[in-house]
Amino acid sequence: MPFLIENVTKVVLALFVLAVLGNFFLIAVVFLRRRRRQKYFSRVDALRERYGSIIAGVISGCIAYPDGLDELRQISSPDRLFMLERLCLEKKPTLEEEPLLRRLCEDLGLVKIWQQRLMGRIDQASLREALINPQGLLRRVKFLHFLIRSKSAESLGLIRHEPSWPLLVKALEDPNPDIQMVAVRALAAIHHPGSFLPLTEQLHKAVLGSSSSLSVRAVKAALVSFPLQSAAELGPSLRHPNSRVRFLATDIIKEMVEAEASGKTDFRLDRNNFDEETAGIFLTDLPFDSNPDVRARAAPVITFLDDPRAASTLFTLLEDSVWFVRLHAVRSMARHRFLSAGDRIARALTDANWRVREAAVRTLRGFGRPGLDLLTSHFLATRDRYSREQVADEFQRVGLIPELLMRCAETGNGRETAVLRNMAEMGKTSYMISVLEDGEGKGKLRKSFLRQFGRYPDPQIHQWVEQVAVKEPDVDVRSLAQEALAATQQRGEG
Amino acid sequence: MELWRQIFIHGMDMFNLLIVSYFFIGNGVYTLLMVLSLATVWLYNRRLSYQDMDEIRESPVTPPVTIVIPAWNEEQIILETTTSTLQTDYPELEVVVVDDGSTDSTLARLINHFHLVKMDLIYRPHIPTQAVRGFYMNPEMPNLLVVSKESGGKPDALNAGINVCRTPYFCTLDSDSILERDALLRLMRPVIHSPVNTVVSGGIVRVMNGCQIRDGRVTEVALPKSSLERFQVVEYLRSFLFGRTGWDLLGGTLIVSGAFAVFHRETVMEAGGFAHDTVTEDMDLIVQLHHWAAGNKRRIRMSFTSDPVCWTECPATLKMLGKQRRRWQLGLCQTLWKHSEMLFNRKYGMVGTFSFPFHLYVEALGAVVEFLGYFMVPLAIIFGMVPAMLYLLFVLLSLAYGGLLSIGAVLLEELTYRRYPAYGDLARLLWFAFIENLGYRQLVLYYRFEGVVRFLTGSWRWEKVTHVGVTQ
Repeated sequence: MPFLIENVTKVVLALFVLAVLGNFFLIAVVFLRRRRRQKYFSRVDALRERYGSIIAGVISGCIAYPDGLDELRQISSPDRLFMLERLCLEKKPTLEEEPLLRRLCEDLGLVKIWQQRLMGRIDQASLREALINPQGLLRRVKFLHFLIRSKSAESLGLIRHEPSWPLLVKALEDPNPDIQMVAVRALAAIHHPGSFLPLTEQLHKAVLGSSSSLSVRAVKAALVSFPLQSAAELGPSLRHPNSRVRFLATDIIKEMVEAEASGKTDFRLDRNNFDEETAGIFLTDLPFDSNPDVRARAAPVITFLDDPRAASTLFTLLEDSVWFVRLHAVRSMARHRFLSAGDRIARALTDANWRVREAAVRTLRGFGRPGLDLLTSHFLATRDRYSREQVADEFQRVGLIPELLMRCAETGNGRETAVLRNMAEMGKTSYMISVLEDGEGKGKLRKSFLRQFGRYPDPQIHQWVEQVAVKEPDVDVRSLAQEALAATQQRGEG
Repeated sequence: MELWRQIFIHGMDMFNLLIVSYFFIGNGVYTLLMVLSLATVWLYNRRLSYQDMDEIRESPVTPPVTIVIPAWNEEQIILETTTSTLQTDYPELEVVVVDDGSTDSTLARLINHFHLVKMDLIYRPHIPTQAVRGFYMNPEMPNLLVVSKESGGKPDALNAGINVCRTPYFCTLDSDSILERDALLRLMRPVIHSPVNTVVSGGIVRVMNGCQIRDGRVTEVALPKSSLERFQVVEYLRSFLFGRTGWDLLGGTLIVSGAFAVFHRETVMEAGGFAHDTVTEDMDLIVQLHHWAAGNKRRIRMSFTSDPVCWTECPATLKMLGKQRRRWQLGLCQTLWKHSEMLFNRKYGMVGTFSFPFHLYVEALGAVVEFLGYFMVPLAIIFGMVPAMLYLLFVLLSLAYGGLLSIGAVLLEELTYRRYPAYGDLARLLWFAFIENLGYRQLVLYYRFEGVVRFLTGSWRWEKVTHVGVTQ
């Protein structure tokens, strides 16, 4: 106890005083910070008000370029560059605005500074500047230089400054992960063909573990954004001994092709847009790769190849021993030109794996009415319970039940009635009941349904019929329901 | 008699030492976390200047995500939550609301508002759950699915959500919460950019009480009116801005709020999903994932980011606050007890050697030590074992230091995100941070102590916090 009483009292008192002072100090810092931020933002607002419209006018061509440039050169303050940078890059430029913004940044000297900073040539701020200005602090403390360098790389990418690509490639080897990551992004924005190979090397490094700071996903995203013509340079990667490299290269080409094909219904890969040698690898090597991931990712590219061997290769992949290869093969055939292969796709409806079955249903559904007919025929003919479940699932998800009920009411005893009967047998009646219950003007639908299914031994249907028999305002419908109910009761008693 | 006197004196001495060690270890670690967080969050905020959201939004390699919202009797707020979630800015997004057998109009409100129809879809219970009653969808709105199931508790509802989820990642979101538009993009950034498999990514949860909400969005941030809620604002800032950030930096993340977090679906399924045997299923899952990764020699990463924001409604009454804190404390004790083999186990790295012991000693047992301290130390003064002056000084020190940590959290907020723009709100925030340790801390301590008692007596029931609904 003497230890606690005599020695500790003074220490505790000292700590208490320190803690109280600390409290007041932090409170003061909070208010000072708030004040400084307010001053900073009012300055930015004032500059934006004065020069924002000039920058917008210059890059949109509304203001004569030399006049605008002269005005902007008048900004004078210690943080002039920072303010100019902020004003110029406040909004992401459109494609049309980019050339003038690039020129403006070059003429204002920003590009040169960004390039210098990216390379690590940063003018050191004085101690005073570091204390009063956060930008000064960044320039003063060497450990924080990576923030300025990364921001510079980002700015060069934002204006797509093509001549800077070699510097950005150099930055890929920087030890700082942020600089590497931003350089990857900037190169992806600039799309210079010369940077594709260095990025591919980064991908190899990331996969093979010799570079741990870049994520595979980040490099992949950059490579995917290049035009399809660059895909040829991934040839060596497609033949790389490491199966993960092959997989990623295949996946990147797949993404490039899908981006190119997006919105073009009859897009094909031919010698005009796709390297012949690469196409050959996709037809002869990749479908037989030892890594199933490679085989799976090759399928969507093969789909687009303008080659007579493409269809048969896809059929081979449809029969692959690994389920997700079959899955990708089925998914990739969701194009109208494979409608003629509908029967082959329909075989996948009875696949052992539910995801393949589901993909087959969606692929066929994507063919529109002919695909739906195929699905309906399969649904009515198959005895495979799981396959029927899958098709019924899709019929509901895409909202087909109201249409089926309508057609059933119109045609009487057609295929639609058979589909609904099968679904009722499977106990999938919730959606039908929801349609019948919902809203007015469903008299015809209800009558038809009561005639066809009113006596069906399904608990949900029975419950609905009971309700209709009591509450339905339409006399005809109500009496049909009462008849159905009486028949069910008779059957039950019998 | 003398023997008993000696035992009493020694017991009191030991307890006094326990109090002092608790004070210094607890505050020492909190100070370390605060300093680390100040540096990290400031740096992170600077790094945001070159982190482009468009890149994630537009990239074809951004993985799709399903937001899973478990709901039980949330008729007051479920529409706002679902609407705001559907408006989330993310390239490929699905929303699954799991109605866990609500007895109010939660399901009916969803059906009516989103024009849902009941469907009999396939349910594959990869993780066993209570029976599913039905699925509700609107074919015009294919990215929203409502699952109605028998009541089985929040973990069961989350597991049902995982079962129907088809994307590689899922995000859990409490039904009383509102996401900021770009919160998911920000939350997925560490997943996308990390070279290590990131299986959990947590974001910050902020108090929505007092804010203006319009069309499922927080349109104006302000402090709530009542003192109880204001104290919680300070508490949330402290807990998320420097607690979670600091542990994340040290690699000792043991808690990620399930109110808003992204998980890798396959990994969670391999780890067995959300367990039913604790009342804080989110913390339990995190610890379970550490366990699973160490057992399977997998290198995984759990990340916490301080800029993706989820707004939540905090308890507005003492009764509800009590229920919430008792549950949190009970869950903490249950989880630590369940995974006790991790304690001082180097196999679990920083978590086993530092974070787990800290949470056990300071967060779990600390509630008992501090609570008893309020009675034992005065007893020691009465018996002349501790001078009254020292006790008084110690109490003042603990109050001042607690205030320092809370004001530190407000400073962190001011240095980075500045969500409370009004000067008045800032001043009030500082005031409540300063006085938090006078009354509010003791109140929460009492609830925490009750939580420990419930753990020890086996009264492990879930206490539901009902919300008044802060939407306008």
